[in-house]
Amino acid sequence: MIELKNHVFQFSLHIMLKFICVRCSFSLPDGARMSKAVVEVDSLLKQYGNLRAVDGVSFEVYEGEVFAFLGPNGAGKTTTVEILECIRPLTSGTAKVFGYDVTKKDDVREIKRRIGVLPQEFSALDKLTVKENIDLIGDMYEKHLDVAEVIKLLDLEDKTKERFENLSGGLKQRVGVAASLVSDPQLIFLDEPTTGLDPKARREVWTVIENLKKLQKTVFLTTHYMEEAQMLADRIAIIDKGKIVAIGPPQDLISEHGGLKVLVIRKGDKKLADILQGKYGQTILNGNGDVLVKVDDVNELWQVVATLTEMKVKKDIEIQTPTIEDVFLKVVGGRITEEGELRQ
Amino acid sequence: MRAVAIFKAVTKNWIRSRSGLFFSILFPVLLLIVFGAIFSGVGGSSSSNLFVQNLDRIGADGEPSNLSNAFIEALNATKLFSIRNVPSDANATSYARDALGPLGGNIRILIISNGFQEDLLNGTFKVRVGITYSTLNTTYYYFEPYMNDTEKVAFQQELVEIEKYEQSLPDRQTSLTLILDSSDQSAAVIKNVVASIANAFNYELIGAENVIQFNESSVTTTHFSNVDFYIPGITAAFIMTNGIIALTANTTEFKRRGIIKRLSITPLRKMDWIIGNVLSQTLLNLMLTAIMIGLGWLIFSVRVIPDALSLVLIVLGSIMFSGIGMLLSGLVKDVEAASAVGNAIAFPMMFLSGVYFPLEIMPSYIQSIAKVLPLTYFADGLRYAMIYKYPEGIYTNMAIVAVLAVGFIIIGSLMTRWKEK
Repeated sequence: MIELKNHVFQFSLHIMLKFICVRCSFSLPDGARMSKAVVEVDSLLKQYGNLRAVDGVSFEVYEGEVFAFLGPNGAGKTTTVEILECIRPLTSGTAKVFGYDVTKKDDVREIKRRIGVLPQEFSALDKLTVKENIDLIGDMYEKHLDVAEVIKLLDLEDKTKERFENLSGGLKQRVGVAASLVSDPQLIFLDEPTTGLDPKARREVWTVIENLKKLQKTVFLTTHYMEEAQMLADRIAIIDKGKIVAIGPPQDLISEHGGLKVLVIRKGDKKLADILQGKYGQTILNGNGDVLVKVDDVNELWQVVATLTEMKVKKDIEIQTPTIEDVFLKVVGGRITEEGELRQ
Repeated sequence: MRAVAIFKAVTKNWIRSRSGLFFSILFPVLLLIVFGAIFSGVGGSSSSNLFVQNLDRIGADGEPSNLSNAFIEALNATKLFSIRNVPSDANATSYARDALGPLGGNIRILIISNGFQEDLLNGTFKVRVGITYSTLNTTYYYFEPYMNDTEKVAFQQELVEIEKYEQSLPDRQTSLTLILDSSDQSAAVIKNVVASIANAFNYELIGAENVIQFNESSVTTTHFSNVDFYIPGITAAFIMTNGIIALTANTTEFKRRGIIKRLSITPLRKMDWIIGNVLSQTLLNLMLTAIMIGLGWLIFSVRVIPDALSLVLIVLGSIMFSGIGMLLSGLVKDVEAASAVGNAIAFPMMFLSGVYFPLEIMPSYIQSIAKVLPLTYFADGLRYAMIYKYPEGIYTNMAIVAVLAVGFIIIGSLMTRWKEK
């Protein structure tokens, strides 16, 4: 019975590891890198007195990808995005959107025609309905999509005649996304789209972003939620104190900075921990009584599992893979709270 | 087109806002009704008692002079007063106090001084001689090249003679004395009406071609009721508050909530945003005027008529106060501060600009302050356009309001931030 259980466990583990490997090798950004860059930023600096809000960042965003700017409050995310949206002047460096320079007046007009924006803490005219607010944004463009179609796309049909003031936070964000899409932009900036939303509303917005990706829109997402960036983005740039400290596809970042995988044996004991420490090293018994074994690679993982099988250990086992949070902890040296503050 | 979209959106947002509607339309209407009910006699209230002592007697039998009689008739024709004559040899205050009795109400006495007619006519005559001299002088200036030497000398002699004659005439000013109880709630209105009639006399006597016809001319002015006098003032005051308080608070709120930033990311230009807001304010103010006058007609049977010039003034006033509103919203960051600053500017201006009380009755330093307040010129212009129909008064005030409108809208648009720092 135990053997059967172990076999099932090993089979499941095998499938899981295979999946992880597939994910690791599933390099979407390689394809993306072949695409055209729609945003090109080079040595961008934004300075207020002695404070460098954005300190010489350089990056590109490729057509069709979801690019996430991940960082705590005050890291320079919104400042960078607003420079790209042409509503904030830069101090030095270059920033181009669709090849147009954000500092040139004629180019600004072209950029504004081509981008859609969901600003941080999006708001609209309270007494206007959902449709009227989207209409208003649409009317600012020479051409725009059929508002009814956009409303349908965002699943807001039931709320068309509802006043903006009566909507929930999640619905308001969806109206914001609808307003950003009404001009049929090629590039959409979503600045902290889920900040302050409850988990349900946050998931609704994630679904919207996933749908934008299916529509082959380029999405520039800023967030301080690790999970959000990891789940949605093709590439992540981690920004701290105005500087990009890491950039790349989530799995690449995890592989590079995330550290080792951990095999967790629930409700173990000191004897087991000592045995595994003796054989593999890097083993600890944590406060919950769980034995944690850090493994360098899949081979070592299999070896540990084999050892456990030999020892006929009847414990629940799970594998913890590093996440973007681990990457962030490594490259920034702190964690981001729910409110977006950096905690060292 | 973008400006029109902004206009539609901002207007709809305002119309659907209960508080906005209350402060922009309902509150001024309520104020008008309250003022009207107090001062118009609606609801059974009779006209105000006014004791008049006419000391301007002529001839051996001491008959009242024609002009002093005309003045009293003009007061009577307003139907605001129940005029009671005080004998010329009586102490007016004691007489009125006795006549009213212990519970008789406030004492209101107008004393027409001795020599009222003579001073008025002499004063007018001197002005007219002055006008004749000035006209002949101008004629000489233009026709001098065509005159021979003899004609020139003769003309110059005539001019000198006329000038001497004008200087020999005494400077005559006549006065009216109005005695009012300091606790009289209607004092301001009574002063306003008497001052208006006196102004009409001044204007007709000095400016009109036929002084003798003055009595008939003054009658047209006196058809207006008290509420007629209040409508342009209250309308002007609330057009001012709509711009300085409501627009400032709304714009600051839009700014705080990022609505302006959101719009600035689109191809919308700053000028479209400003035009849209000014159009919205103008519509709101025209609606306010229409409602005020409509209610005035229905409830108080007012005769005030807004003509094309009044409408032009309302448009200019809307631009001027929108400009001030935008200027203030550019200076303050939060809505509470915007409301505080708006109120701090609007309310003193409302009471120092002669909207509710005629400036003539105010201390000279307040009159000096009033001269630098935009509302003074806007309210005066509206009053001239809607009531007096006095072209010079209309165009002078309109020109000042137009200049201020251009100035403030330029400063307001410069203060409207369309880009972050």
